[in-house]
Parts: sequence; structure tokens; C-alpha cells
Amino acid sequence: MIMTRSTRRWLWFVGAVATAAAVPFAVPHPFLFNLLIQAAIWALVTASWDLLGGYAGQISFGHSGFFALGAYTAAGLAYHLHVSPWFGLVAGAILCSLVGLCVGFPALRLRGHYLALVTLGFAEIIRLVAQNWVQMTGGPFGMHDFGTLPGLPTALLRYNETLYLVVLGIAAAAIALMLTVCEHTDAGKAFRAIREDQVLAESHGINIKVYKLYAFALSAALAGLAGGLYAFSIGLVDPNLASPLTSAMILGMAVFGGIGTIWGPALGAVLLFMMSEGLRFVGVVYNLIAFGLVIMVFVIFVPRGVAGLRLGRNERLSRRDLLQSEQAGTRPDPVQRREVI
Amino acid sequence: MILEVNDVRAGYDRLEILQGVSLSVAPGQIVGIIGPNGAGKSTLLKSIFGYIRPFSGRIALRGEILNGCRPDQVMRRRVGFVAQAGGLFAEMTIEENLLLGGYSVGDTGTVRGAIREVYDRFPLFRERRRQLAGSLSGGEQRLLAIARSLIIKPELLLLDEPSAALAPRFIDEVYETLRKLNAQGIAMLVVEQNTGVILDTADRVFVLEMGTNAFDGTPAELLADDRIRRLYLGSEAA
Amino acid sequence: MLESIVEFLILGIVLGGIYALFSTGLTLIFGVLDVINVAHGEFFAIGGYIVFATVVLLHLSPALGLLAATTGSFLLGLAVYPLLIAPLKRRLGRRPQGPLFLVLTLGLSTFLQSTLLAIGGGDYLRVPPFARGMLDLGFTAVSYQRLLILAVATLALVALFTFLHFHRQGMAIRAVALNPDAAQAVGINLGMIFTLALALGVALAGMAGALMAPLFNVYPAVGFAFTIKAFAITILGGLGNLAGALLASFVIAIVETLSVLVIPSQWQNVIAFAIMILILLIRPQGLLGRADR
Repeated sequence: MIMTRSTRRWLWFVGAVATAAAVPFAVPHPFLFNLLIQAAIWALVTASWDLLGGYAGQISFGHSGFFALGAYTAAGLAYHLHVSPWFGLVAGAILCSLVGLCVGFPALRLRGHYLALVTLGFAEIIRLVAQNWVQMTGGPFGMHDFGTLPGLPTALLRYNETLYLVVLGIAAAAIALMLTVCEHTDAGKAFRAIREDQVLAESHGINIKVYKLYAFALSAALAGLAGGLYAFSIGLVDPNLASPLTSAMILGMAVFGGIGTIWGPALGAVLLFMMSEGLRFVGVVYNLIAFGLVIMVFVIFVPRGVAGLRLGRNERLSRRDLLQSEQAGTRPDPVQRREVI
Repeated sequence: MILEVNDVRAGYDRLEILQGVSLSVAPGQIVGIIGPNGAGKSTLLKSIFGYIRPFSGRIALRGEILNGCRPDQVMRRRVGFVAQAGGLFAEMTIEENLLLGGYSVGDTGTVRGAIREVYDRFPLFRERRRQLAGSLSGGEQRLLAIARSLIIKPELLLLDEPSAALAPRFIDEVYETLRKLNAQGIAMLVVEQNTGVILDTADRVFVLEMGTNAFDGTPAELLADDRIRRLYLGSEAA
Repeated sequence: MLESIVEFLILGIVLGGIYALFSTGLTLIFGVLDVINVAHGEFFAIGGYIVFATVVLLHLSPALGLLAATTGSFLLGLAVYPLLIAPLKRRLGRRPQGPLFLVLTLGLSTFLQSTLLAIGGGDYLRVPPFARGMLDLGFTAVSYQRLLILAVATLALVALFTFLHFHRQGMAIRAVALNPDAAQAVGINLGMIFTLALALGVALAGMAGALMAPLFNVYPAVGFAFTIKAFAITILGGLGNLAGALLASFVIAIVETLSVLVIPSQWQNVIAFAIMILILLIRPQGLLGRADR
């Protein structure tokens, strides 16, 4: 039987998720499950960043804002209105997608530096609101005691195991959704076209406004969903969730994993999160120092991240190749152009 | 030879534009480089001046290897560069442009002296030294770019299309200035699209085609070569 | 009411001086290197830590502390271009950079901030005022510390302007900002100017951090709020426009301080970002910029 590239990739994906679901049960310990829950959440938020930044080329420096907004919405609804946490998760995602549209709106006109600064400013506004709207958000110390996902077993180990499977399932489904959108729909093609050459994309009749807003809304919604999962798994939300440091972690994980592949950043998030938790044993600040170093080293030397390690470098383009590719109407050196970041 | 270029290959990133070019300039000579767009004429000048590092080959100034030198190091060896249009600091004054022309000299007294000499040669610039360079006409800007390259007292000038985008009477003025400077002993390597004016001026002409040498000789020899003449001078000289 | 307006106006002008020092540094770096330095605030923090070390730990004079903070951040800044920016520029060649340098300097920011945390701990360190006492203006009083901040900031900015316009290397910095190709054609070594401009820019941040240390406490993340605010300022002034950044610094600082009269003070910090997003929507080229972006 001949497998297409796409079938093979899905098999890989299903295999990876199944392994992730099964293997930890070999060493059942609440602490391990707790770590894995967080890893899955980071994988989701980093993959959602990659949809917007890696695929559509709209680099966001404010994904911590969506993450925090989703977390606060879910927690706040449960705490103040006693709404079901499941509903809170969905509500947080929906609110984030709406806010994503609002942030995306200026992005229709702004690119590069300006977009980065707007998103950074957006996250900072979220952080300041979280810190100062004390009666709603609990102020600088955040909120806790807003409950957890209902219907899970109460014994600690069983609870952690079930929660892990739930979080992993939701994260995997969301990542699968993003992979489908990016690889198998017109939207994915449009995202890539916008990233490569906005003017060219427009001249090919792609409605870049609609697709940019689509990318913003979907990416923000899933980042918000990750935030909601974070709130109910950790049981604490505080203004630091929205801090630029959180955005730096997301960016670092994405750069580490390999931007523009969805699965790369998700994998990068898991690896880097585990590494950084490991470094906590050395000292609490060393994991953050390592994050900074990873971002710098990977941006400079390994732009395609872990995902790109198996791709070889291509040869110097000779004049003849260039001429041929120009005559054939294709762009020279497609691999090189994939390095949007 | 003041400048010798031997089998140089160069380009940008992974794109090779020069695929083995050789030429030489004798002291006091004006050497012209002509050829179609994209033949690598500007790339050649940029390789000599150190803007880009050649992939291979040899560039020598008075016998000393220049490969891998940065522009500032090339300049200290008394080589000046006059870029195509847009080589001035339009938002700075004429005097600031000239002062920057002496950047690689370092010693302010020497630079001030050289600027006085330039002002003597081009009184217009002394008069307008507080004006922004961008306020000059196209022809005056070209002359200012040439004047700026004189601050370092060059022995060799590299010029990239000094006639580009100029009205005929300014072209004559620019070339008149170049001939006068040449008469004072400055050798020149001139890339030019305007074949007529360079054939009138140059002692020797090189033709580049697709990144390699296609012809080398005096203007008279070039005019005697049927193929080259048809290709580059069209019906005008036929 | 009028008196409190004047009082807050004076505070706004002093704050504007700090913003101006900080944002001109950022703008200088952007104008010359085309890099937005996300790690700018960390040099502000480093300036604060150096002044704490010299004044509180070594009991040296504040003037020496200020000098040490400025020089220290300058020297650290010298390493940034050759170690980080240049290798990335080399790898990119002539390809578009996108927001790559933002990501890179964000990494630097995280690295420096957590390194400060590792060295100095997370405590809020207090630095005593360099000058004690108040100048009595009748209706209000201004502390000598604030006047000192304003004086030093003004002096530093005048010195910077003089350097950029009359010194050989300063002119070269402007030349590179205006036209890098032409700058190379007159023999300016771009790498050297990039290194110098970056170091100068972060030295201004370090100086601002040292000056502000007695008013703020010193802690690792102290500078980041300034960085984000400086983004708002540079956008208001037009990216890369020094005069615009100077003007916008005072506009934002004065609006912020006066806003206390109208809205609760904890919301003061939101104003800069609101202005920034508004400007980006209405007039992306900034106050003094031309409509070419």
C-alpha cells in the first residue's frame, strides 16, 4: 500500500498522542502527571501561536495576553457566577477569538515591527487590567479556589491521571484541528501566501483581510482554550500569566521546535518545558536563563528549529538555475523562503 | 598596473553573478566597462571596493591583494568610489557630505585642507555649503559625489555609471571634470551604459557579458569588431 | 486645582526627561541598525544595579555611581552587536529580516533579566537619593533629586546631539542611519558604527536607570515597563525619528502625570499603550513622521 505524505504524517501524529497517553502510566505518580498536564497546555498555546506567527506570518508578541484572558475568563465565570467550568472553557475561547479579531484589525494595516509592538501593548493592557481590577480578578495575587473540571475522580493520583487524559485529548484535538486547517484547507494556502508575499497573495485574488482575521481569531481562541485548561489544572491564575515573559516562553518554545509546522512548536514546547522543569532542580532562575539562551541560539543558528534538523542545506544557486526557475515562473530556492523567522 | 583583477567570481548569497572576470588598469588610464544589464558590471566594482567579498579569484592593487578588504581598508589605499545615483547623504549639508568623504582620513586638519581644495575647484559648493545635498540638481549631485571622492586624494577612482539619469549637457560637464582629474594623474575604472561617451573618453574598454569577459581592447579596436559593435552600439555606429 | 496642575506638570517634565533619555537610546539603535531592542529595559535595570553596587555596597559618591552605570552599560552594549546582531545579519544576508531581531532581543531580555535575578535576587533594592532637600516654589516644592534628574538628562541629550552633529564618529552614525550604502562608499565601517550606536543607545538606558534608581526600587524586571512604554513613545514620535521621540517622551510623560487628576493612578500605565494603539490606527507614521510607511 502506498501512503501519501499526509497519511504518514497523521499516523505519526496519532502514534505520538497514543504514546503520550500510555507511557506515563508505566510510572504512575501525581507529580509526573502534573508536569505532563502543563506540557500539553504549553504545546497547545505554542501551536496556536505558530498558526498565526509561523503559518500566516503575523508574529505576535502578545500571546500571553490571550492565554491570560482565557484563564481569567474561565476562572472568573466559575468563581463569580458559578458557571460550569466546561462552559467557562468554551466561553474563554470565544471571548479570546473576539478579542483576537479586535487585535487583528489593526494588523490588517500593520506589519513587522508595528504588529509586534501592538500585540506586546495588548498583552500589557491585559496584565494591567488583571492587576488592577481587584474585585473581579483578585489583583496582583490573582484568583484561586474557583474549582476544577467536574466529574473527575477525587483521589489524587486518579484525579491527575484523568485530568491528564482530558487535557491531552483536548490539546491533541485542537492541534489536529490546526494541522487540518493549515494543511488541507484553502485557509492554510492563504496563510502561507500571505506570509510569503502579501501583495502577490492579493493579486491572486486571496482576500487577505478575511484570512488574517481568521488566523487571529482561531489562534487567539485556542490560546484562550489553553489558558482555561491552565486555570482549572493549576488552580491559580495571576497577572504574571499575561507578562511578556510568558510570551517570550511561547516564542522560545516555537523557535526551538521549528516555526511554521504546528507540530514542531508543539514538540518544542514539550521538550523545552521538560528541560526547564529539570533545570528547576538546579535553581529556579536557571530555567529562565536557559530560555533566553535557547531563543538567541536558535534564532541565529538553527532557524528551522528541531523540526528542521532533518532537512539538508541546499547548494549555492548558480545563475543558470536562477534563470531556469525564472523562466518556469517559479520562485528560486523555496527552502530559503520558508525561513520566515 | 595599478589594478589587476584575475578570474574573479562573486555574487550575492548563493547567486553567482561574476563567473570569472579579469581586467587591469594602468596608472593614469581611464578604463571603461560596458555590457548589457545584469552582466555584472556593478557587481565587479563592488567586489573591487570590498562591498562584497569575491567567492574566488584575485584582486590586486599595485600588486597587493585586496580580496577580503572592507571598503574602509580599500579607501585607505587611495581608491575612491562614486556610486550610481543616490550615493549622497541627501538630508545632510554639502559640507557634511564632504567632511564624511574624509572620514577614512581621520585627521581633521588634513580633511579641512582637502575640502578647501575641492571648494577651489567647485566654487558652487563653497557658496552653498550649508545647503542640503538633496536640494542640488541631479547634475550638481553627481559632481558633489565626485568631489567627495577627491577628499582622500585618490590614485584610482571607481565610478558606477556617472552619466545615469542625467541630461546631455550635465553628462558633458561630468565627463569634462573626469578628464581634467585624469589629466592630473587619477586612474579611473568607469562602468557605463552610455557607450558613446565612454568610447570618447576611455583609453581601454572591457565588455562584460553574462558575468564573463566578452571583449578587451581600445575603443578603436572595439569599433572594428563587427559582432561587438552590432551588439552594443546598434545601428548608431553601423 | 491650577496649582496641582502646575505641580503635576513639573513632575511630568521630570519624568519626560527620563523617558527622553531612554527612548532616544532606543530610537538611535532603531534608526541606525533597524533593530528594535526589546532588551533596552534590561540595560535600564543594569544601570540601577550598578548604581546600587557603587553607592550602597561600596559607599562611593552618586556621581561615580552614575558614571559607572553609564560606562558599564556602554561596555556591555559593545558586546551585543558582534555577538548577537551581526551573526544573525550574516545568516540572513539580503533576505528580509521580518521581526527576527525582535525575537532575538526578546531572548536577550529574558536572558539578562533572569541573570540579574540570579545575581541580585528578586528583592526590591533601595538606593538613597543623590541629592536631599526640596526646592520651595511657594505653591509646591520639587525635590533636588528630581531637578538633578532633569539637569543630567538635559546635559546628556545636548551632549548626544553635539556628538551626532559635530564629531566625526557621530556624523558617521547619522550617515549610516540615512544611507548605509553611501556610508560604506566613504569608508565607514558599518560593523564598527553598529557596535558603537548600540552601545551608546543602551548607555543612555543605563544612565536613565541609574538616575531613576532612587525614585523606583531596583529589581530585575524594573526596566521592562519602560521598554514597552518607550515603544509607545517611539511610535508616537515616528520610528527612528530622534526629534519625534524627544517630543513624544514629554507628551506621554505629561499626559500620564496629569491623568492622575482624572483617573485612578493605577490605570496611569494603560494610557501610553492606549495612545500607541490609537496612533497606529490613525497615524502610523507618528507625530512628526512623513506618510511613507
